[in-house]
Amino acid sequence: MSGRGPIFRPGASAKFRACLLLGFVLLLAVTDAGYAFYHSPWWSRVGFASDQPVLFSHRHHAAELRIDCRYCHSSVETSPFAGMPPTETCLSCHSQIFGTTALLRPVVVSAETNQPLRWNRVTRMPDFVYFDHQIHVAKGIGCTSCHGAIGSMALTAKGERLDMRQCLECHRDPRPFLRPSAEIFLPAWTPPADQAARGAALAAHYGLALRHLTNCSTCHR
Amino acid sequence: MPPLTSLPARSPEFAEGADVWPPDLDRRGFLGLMGASLALGGLAGCRAAKTLVPYTHQPDSVVPGLPSFYASACPCEGFARGILVEAHEGRPTKIEGNPRHAESGGAADAVTQAAILALYDPDRSQAPLHQGRPASWPEFESAWREEDRRLAPVGGAGLALLTEPTTSPTVRAGLHRLLDRFPRARWFQHTALARYDAEGFQPDYDLAEADVILAIEGGFLDRHPAALRYTRAFAGRRRVEKGAVRANRLYALESAWSLAGAMADRRLAAPPARLPAILNAVATAWSREPLPETLDREERAFVTALTADLRRPGRKVLCIAGDEQPAAIRRWAQRLNQVLGAVGKTIRYRAAVRSDGDPRSAGDLGALADAIARGEISALAILGANPVYTGPADVEFAARLARVPFTLHLGGYADETAAAVRWHLPESHFLEAWSDLRGYDGSAVIQQPLIDPLYDTRSLGEVLRLLAGDPPLSGYDLVRATWRARLGADDFDGHWTRWLNAGVVDGENTPTANPEPAEAEEPVPYLDPEPAAALTLVLRPDPWLGDGRHANNGWLQELPRPFTALVWDNALLISPQLGREQRLENGDLVRVECEGRVVEAPVWLVPGQAEGCAVAHWGGGRTRAGAVGSGRGFDAFRLQSRSGRARGLKLTATGRKTRLASTQHQFAMDGRDPVQTFALRDLGRLRPEQPAISLYPARARDTYAWGMSIDLSTCIGCSACVAACQAENNIPVVGKEQVLRGRVMHWIRVDTYFAGEPGAERCHSQPVPCMQCENAPCELVCPVGATVHSSEGLNEMVYNRCVGTRYCSNNCPYKVRRFNFFDFRAAADSILHLQDNPEVTVRQRGVMEKCTYCVQRINRARSEAERDNRPIRDGEIRTACQQACPAEAIVFGNVADPASAVAQRKAEPSSYSLLAELNTRPRTTYLAKMINPA
Repeated sequence: MSGRGPIFRPGASAKFRACLLLGFVLLLAVTDAGYAFYHSPWWSRVGFASDQPVLFSHRHHAAELRIDCRYCHSSVETSPFAGMPPTETCLSCHSQIFGTTALLRPVVVSAETNQPLRWNRVTRMPDFVYFDHQIHVAKGIGCTSCHGAIGSMALTAKGERLDMRQCLECHRDPRPFLRPSAEIFLPAWTPPADQAARGAALAAHYGLALRHLTNCSTCHR
Repeated sequence: MPPLTSLPARSPEFAEGADVWPPDLDRRGFLGLMGASLALGGLAGCRAAKTLVPYTHQPDSVVPGLPSFYASACPCEGFARGILVEAHEGRPTKIEGNPRHAESGGAADAVTQAAILALYDPDRSQAPLHQGRPASWPEFESAWREEDRRLAPVGGAGLALLTEPTTSPTVRAGLHRLLDRFPRARWFQHTALARYDAEGFQPDYDLAEADVILAIEGGFLDRHPAALRYTRAFAGRRRVEKGAVRANRLYALESAWSLAGAMADRRLAAPPARLPAILNAVATAWSREPLPETLDREERAFVTALTADLRRPGRKVLCIAGDEQPAAIRRWAQRLNQVLGAVGKTIRYRAAVRSDGDPRSAGDLGALADAIARGEISALAILGANPVYTGPADVEFAARLARVPFTLHLGGYADETAAAVRWHLPESHFLEAWSDLRGYDGSAVIQQPLIDPLYDTRSLGEVLRLLAGDPPLSGYDLVRATWRARLGADDFDGHWTRWLNAGVVDGENTPTANPEPAEAEEPVPYLDPEPAAALTLVLRPDPWLGDGRHANNGWLQELPRPFTALVWDNALLISPQLGREQRLENGDLVRVECEGRVVEAPVWLVPGQAEGCAVAHWGGGRTRAGAVGSGRGFDAFRLQSRSGRARGLKLTATGRKTRLASTQHQFAMDGRDPVQTFALRDLGRLRPEQPAISLYPARARDTYAWGMSIDLSTCIGCSACVAACQAENNIPVVGKEQVLRGRVMHWIRVDTYFAGEPGAERCHSQPVPCMQCENAPCELVCPVGATVHSSEGLNEMVYNRCVGTRYCSNNCPYKVRRFNFFDFRAAADSILHLQDNPEVTVRQRGVMEKCTYCVQRINRARSEAERDNRPIRDGEIRTACQQACPAEAIVFGNVADPASAVAQRKAEPSSYSLLAELNTRPRTTYLAKMINPA
């Protein structure tokens, strides 16, 4: 009744252990890679510029020419939505200068045909998040806190991750990010050395009520 | 329109056969499929608008991201209701009342609220039809030119116009111009609904002044063009403020429940056949003669109490007869008012505002049908009405219509009449067209469009001009021409702008006039007694659908009807006693026979309805209403006769049953007393509710602590709040099947309770939104923290966390949580999404939802207040239900501020919490219902 040898050859156990180890290492590697990818700009799109109908440079307009943010994003102080400039806003200057260049052709065509420009969104919030621009700029949060160093962007790219962690970090304690009213719309801003003291003073100045800032319904409804 | 009968048909997640296990699917295949579904399901999550599209030229008035409000008018049986329409970047999304128009006072009823959905109804008529086939306006114009060539030489002989009665000066001028062009043409008017004038005058009640009111068959709180104004005034006399009230006393005499009957301090349910005898007894008792023996005990007691009250000195009295009542009873009421000295005090008369009695009008639908029968009509233009459906059965209008060679119909839907005519022309929705209307009080309102016509439609004014052969003029120019002619050219544009801003044309009230009392000494007329009938049929307009014109509106179809909570179907309403006698239960199909006319209808038993009558509502049984409204319920117009009388009703059980969907399953309070009442005389003895003891420390309060108080003394149960909430919060319509499974989605419901002995029932209405409990049972059981408490006391619902366990709903003692069992959203490319409020998430399948206290409005107000460095003012935030409420029964605000209106209300001794014994500490509380018995 015999005729059957052992099922496992010598060394099978060692191979099996090696495979287990390899599998474990592989699992770790994949998890790590996933984690790294999730935290990389390839996932969050930070620093990636989208294609746009017009090669518009915030660096040139906002930083070099020092055009105020509100010249184009005119409803940022009154509305949840900061506003996108209508074609006529572009033409208020560009009917005089560079109006005939190929670069500005789409803008001119838009005005001639009364067809709007279609910009690709750079900063996108999920549908269940309700962000209100007006209250942030009224209470000392500047543009670059969320939109990044817009003054150095030749092509506009997403400047911050803008995930819920980032929102909550500030909603729990906005003091490190608070600026005086005059500095809200600066195209570049770094906190001064005494931000801790200044932030506390500014929070009092703006009359910030903090408790309700971390309610779910502040952003989700 | 959203899904209807069974599972959501358009949603791809329930494809035909998707729930059937394929025979050849093995375990391996199944796992493969599951893996792929999971992976693809993850991908489907990535949907957000990817482009930003600015204007090329931005209008000055538009701030992107902020709503704009425009004043306009909503037609209600031809009369104006002033409205403010909210628009987001040119897309109208919600209708509110216009506080500057007296007929609205800032409130808007359910039907007005729902009108916004009709604008986006995909079933609207979108192009002209010629004999049922798509055609174009130029084709119709050439066809009419031909007809015009035939009609013009004979002065329009043979031409008939049929319209609904109108208050619009522009439409009336257009009609008159058309009649000038065709002097021998005849203009008929038809409406199945009430006529509010008699002998050129319409009564107007001053309910703020009346101390004792007798309401015969309802007539002023529901379905009246001035109902909002009346409700506000009436509620002002019922509201207990700081422990005091100048209460009126309402006597209701009615066969079936009306909203007025439910508010009455004393109500007598009597079938229509008994009405003349009881009213005669009132007149007899008034002249201090002994009451006739024919009255039974309850009738006698009612008449005695009423006359004693009428007689009490120093009381201002008022008698109101329902507008559907026969002329004799309305005349009786008018005469009684004169005898009681009410005219000029609590009732005033004003020249008729609507065109019913226009001297150039040639009569009603019956007269038109007779003229057709005599062969006098060769061309008929039906403008706005739907007489094939709403005509009385014995007029047989469809058959008559077939005898007219040239027929045209203008209407918003390709309805029953459109199918019976040669030309159907699509009419613009009132939010798409310029016009003008007058309110019941005579005030004029410019009807301002919010949006260009979505389809190839025209307004009535424009079509009248087309028919008259005048060169075309836009609706805007037409309306301006009307008012320029009235005002003169002097600074017309300045006036015009002001009128559009305010929503009211100033100085345009029709003055009140008191018609001379016929003969001052004439007594109240004697009413001929009705022949005794075992059973009388009472035909009424549907509370929401009216004469069926709103049948294709999903919000209205799914809005629970008062007293029955029925949705999607109408039923023959009978009293429980009659049900017992005839062995009928809810949903039993009966054969209804009345003077030879027969329909089949399900019955529904309503406690408190008079025994000898059965009530049927119009609006059901439509065949061409659209995908939502066709085939719902039964057609009560088939029972209607020209004379309006309906005696000799016979019910025969068929032995079959149908399932009726009602959102309430229990109409008795069973000792739990969700609605608390008190008699006025006990007001001083009320003691404030003491909060139950708790082992836990009280919650710390933030600057704001939001709360609500609902006053049951003034709530009339009109459901305006429910419709307003639906419009504001993107609440889906789920369909009859889902309602039958208890899956209705309304965030606020109006519960109805019948209390008291049979024969002397009281009816109570109670709006129930989320109570926003401080000790919320729902929060404790959520495994994922999707429902949490905010620092300001809101019980928050976080959709993006919810995984749909429904534990919260199970643990909610008030049953106010709603679950998305299916994806109730309209298809992604549906036009219905244009109505969505962008401030509120559109929920998807598997997510729990509930009332949020309109947190989007709180956040908006807070954002503005904090921007301006000031606290949120009391009254600055108004929830959608509060804003719509004509009785101002709902007050919302900061309970942490003792000076706020809501804190004051909660301090009333009549304030109580629903199911207080559970110690949930609701932030929504009620004021007990005050009753003022003699």
